[in-house]
Amino acid sequence: MKALTSAEMKSFLKSLTGEYDVRAPVRLEDGTRALGHLDEGRLAIEGGPIARKPNDIFFPQFDVILNAKGNKFKVADSLQKPLFVIGFTAEDCECLEFVDKFYSENFRDEIYFAKRDKAVIAAVSGKCGKDGEMLKIAGGKCDLEFIYDGSKYIVCAYTLKGKKIEEKIKCEEKSAKIDELKKLSDSIHNEDLEILKKAGELIRKNAVPDDFWKEIANRCISCTACNIACPTCTCFDVCDHDRERVIERIRMWDSCQLDGFMREASGHNPLGEEYLRARRRIHHKLAADYERWGHITCFLCGRCDDVCPTNIGIKSVNREIVKRFG
Amino acid sequence: MKRTLTTCPYCGTGCRFYLLTDDMGKVCGVEASTEHHISRGQLCIKGWNAYEFVNHPDRLTTPLIRKNGKLVPSYWQEAIDCVAKRLKEISEKYGSDSLMFFSSAKTTNEENFAMMKLARAVFRTNNIDHCARLCHSSTVAGLAASFGSGAMTNSISCMEKAKCILVIGSNTTEQHPLIGTRIINNVIENGCKLIVADSRAIRLSRFAEIHLRHKNGTDVALLNGIMNIIIKEGLEDKEFISERTENYEELKKTVEKYTPEIVSEITGLKEEEISEAARIFGESKPAMIVYAMGITQHTHGVDNVKSCANLAMLTGNLGVEGGGVNPLRGQNNVQGACDMGALPDVYSGYQKVTDEKVRKKFEKVWRVSPLPDKPGLTATEAISAAAEGKLKALYIMGENPILSDANQNHVRKAFGNLEFIVVQDIFPTSTTEFADVVLPACCYAEKDGTFTSTERGVQAVNKAANPPGNAMDDWKIFSEIAIRLGYNGLNYKSPSEILEEINSLTPSYAGITPKRIKKEFLQWPCPDENHPGTPILHKEKFARGRGKFHAVEFKPSAELPDEKWPLLLSTGRCYFHFHTGTMTRRSKLLDREERFPYVELHPDDAKKIGLADREYCLVSTRRGEIKAMARITDMVIPGIIFMPFHFFEGAANVLTNNALDPESKIPEFKVCAANIRKIEDEGINIC
Repeated sequence: MKALTSAEMKSFLKSLTGEYDVRAPVRLEDGTRALGHLDEGRLAIEGGPIARKPNDIFFPQFDVILNAKGNKFKVADSLQKPLFVIGFTAEDCECLEFVDKFYSENFRDEIYFAKRDKAVIAAVSGKCGKDGEMLKIAGGKCDLEFIYDGSKYIVCAYTLKGKKIEEKIKCEEKSAKIDELKKLSDSIHNEDLEILKKAGELIRKNAVPDDFWKEIANRCISCTACNIACPTCTCFDVCDHDRERVIERIRMWDSCQLDGFMREASGHNPLGEEYLRARRRIHHKLAADYERWGHITCFLCGRCDDVCPTNIGIKSVNREIVKRFG
Repeated sequence: MKRTLTTCPYCGTGCRFYLLTDDMGKVCGVEASTEHHISRGQLCIKGWNAYEFVNHPDRLTTPLIRKNGKLVPSYWQEAIDCVAKRLKEISEKYGSDSLMFFSSAKTTNEENFAMMKLARAVFRTNNIDHCARLCHSSTVAGLAASFGSGAMTNSISCMEKAKCILVIGSNTTEQHPLIGTRIINNVIENGCKLIVADSRAIRLSRFAEIHLRHKNGTDVALLNGIMNIIIKEGLEDKEFISERTENYEELKKTVEKYTPEIVSEITGLKEEEISEAARIFGESKPAMIVYAMGITQHTHGVDNVKSCANLAMLTGNLGVEGGGVNPLRGQNNVQGACDMGALPDVYSGYQKVTDEKVRKKFEKVWRVSPLPDKPGLTATEAISAAAEGKLKALYIMGENPILSDANQNHVRKAFGNLEFIVVQDIFPTSTTEFADVVLPACCYAEKDGTFTSTERGVQAVNKAANPPGNAMDDWKIFSEIAIRLGYNGLNYKSPSEILEEINSLTPSYAGITPKRIKKEFLQWPCPDENHPGTPILHKEKFARGRGKFHAVEFKPSAELPDEKWPLLLSTGRCYFHFHTGTMTRRSKLLDREERFPYVELHPDDAKKIGLADREYCLVSTRRGEIKAMARITDMVIPGIIFMPFHFFEGAANVLTNNALDPESKIPEFKVCAANIRKIEDEGINIC
């Protein structure tokens, strides 16, 4: 298997920039770690999940999806180069798999797939979490994976697009201790996952009373950060800007934590109470989506817990549910 | 995709985020800074949506000049010539003090300084002010009198260290969300004892040890009552009082008569509520006071602020981590606009215009002489002066006084009386409708400079995108006007050059250099380039030497409910909008959340009137009447109603009283007598 040192990784990513629009974790000017171009900051692949969800590349916060003038429509231009995105965690890959499914089942979101289909997704795993902790190996659900063994990134290609990238890597093939890393990955005890499953069971059997959700809602300031941060949140709103008779159709991320999310023209609002919105955020992923998709659509990336100003991200709420009602 | 680190353009908390710009150069998203000490990867609803208005089609893109009664597109040379010529003509005809300049708490420090310089050095008038007059001018006056410096005494991080927090007149989670959440977390995680004094049931009240729902306008009585109990029970900090304050005996004598019984009668609170609050605050250390416009926007706003200062000194909670008197500035750069001297009586750094030594310093650097030595008009006084015909021209940067100022009909009359009005803004507003010249300006995403947050921290604002059309930096516009009038002192090459001039003239900013702010968070006073900044003021001694107690007596509000106007109207902001809504009402998600003017009233009051929830009604005061949607809620107590002032369709300031605090000249936005009635026989209510 091929393996790259950190320095070799940097050189390799640079070598891809002629053919791909390369995005990688970088340290920005103030130390924020973000998915950006290589010239935006020092490469920072180690460190675990980046703060902002990586799949926003395909589904941006604000996206002009078409222009209309009279009877003529022009869809937004597709990317000049396909994307190469490195820095997905295993959890991010699971999220991406779900969102791909969401945007292709019943309808196919061509705006999304215009970028997504051509993109190469590279996961990062192994001993490269925060402070060197072990990150779970994705083992698929991406095009290729770079598994860090403490000194080198071992390359595992899973798809044809991934193999094409792997072929570009110029280094000696070496035997690697991939099995040991997989054992370490498999041995990660994910207490949060157990709590998530238990919380989902409790919610689905309606064991969590409204008063609990009212407590959560009291702490919610409707900043919408949980939805902004969540890689599996897919809701959006649409608005049109009239620029001298050229209509610019824009879609932007929406949030179920906002009163206007489900408010009807009459003013009637099925989610008109704060506690109902607080409940929906969790219920949707642990119960409603479970019924629809057969699985919970929270993959424990942890971002909503990081961005919540009052510490009511989904992990925190799940722990509280299990503690009080389990 | 490009990222530009900048500072949020909304409240004074000073959150930092990256603006995301697409390959076409359009701002298309926000990414919170994870490393900034305030943001920590978090933002409020307005911050997360702060990109959107930037690209709105309503942006002003070209100068407009009124010809034959209509604003028509023009070009910069014609517009600048017109402004310079007309202002000069009016100044020569009526005197320099017939001009007035409204600076902006939403533009940068450098631009506020430049407008201040334009007014003083070019037009030789001290008639410059800004909207701090409408929000925290009581703070500047009150805290300066008590402590010697009219600014937040502590830092936002102190919110997490206080053992007790008294929040009075601040809906913190809505107006300063990332400060409000710190308070919530301190309560939940650390057991901080929270006292909320607000007639409205704000979110923070759900976490309060005690929620004091006192009548609007009775804050002095409440605070004096709390101090009465503290002194009576021996909870005052005797050592602090003895060593660091003056005038204590006068305070003690005054508050002696504010017994729980008397205060209960005035405020509507139960006696035991007052006593309990006093014990909680008096027995906790460090204890902090947090306040906002709920106590400043009164005809006794300065007294309210002095009373807060009294309480903090009484309990020795100044100069300590987790303590302090902490006014929360409502706008991103209102602290900065004050600091830069966009006020009628001071230059930058609160250096008085009446001080000859100070004037000489500025005259030397600006190469003009003489500079005017008399304090100019405040913004509120200017409105009346215009109505009386004494003021002839008004130059407005980034403000919308037709919507933001009290008693709109009076403002409209005043503006109609002016010979010449210039409005420099990013969007057309209610005020541009009165303008003779409208100048398109850059917004925060299109300029470099600095903002100063409520905790006195100076932070960079960085350009992320080019402005639409021919919009220009505010400071460049001033430079062009000055050049037309033969003055080259505003010919800056960059905002950094302006900041360097500010450094040279302003002792408290001397160390806040362009080079340092790129890497450091600096809180003024920062007297030299090696100084680390000042997170906590008044540590060893007060800025004025000793803290001064003021013997403040309760005075009722200027206009109280009566038989004809039985309800008390209070006005303010809601979470989703910012001031006159110029930016937030052009953000899709924010505007969707609150789209119509509304009035909050208690179910008991609604029942008496016969109103249903969401029914449109007419709200009136002695000054006018507007239509609004009834929102029946126990957020308000019976007899008090609340309206946001963001909506031009139902402008709350048609109703408000322009009675002023005699010292700070702030209007009494929080109290006036009102009436609500049903709309009869008008068919379907469509706003």
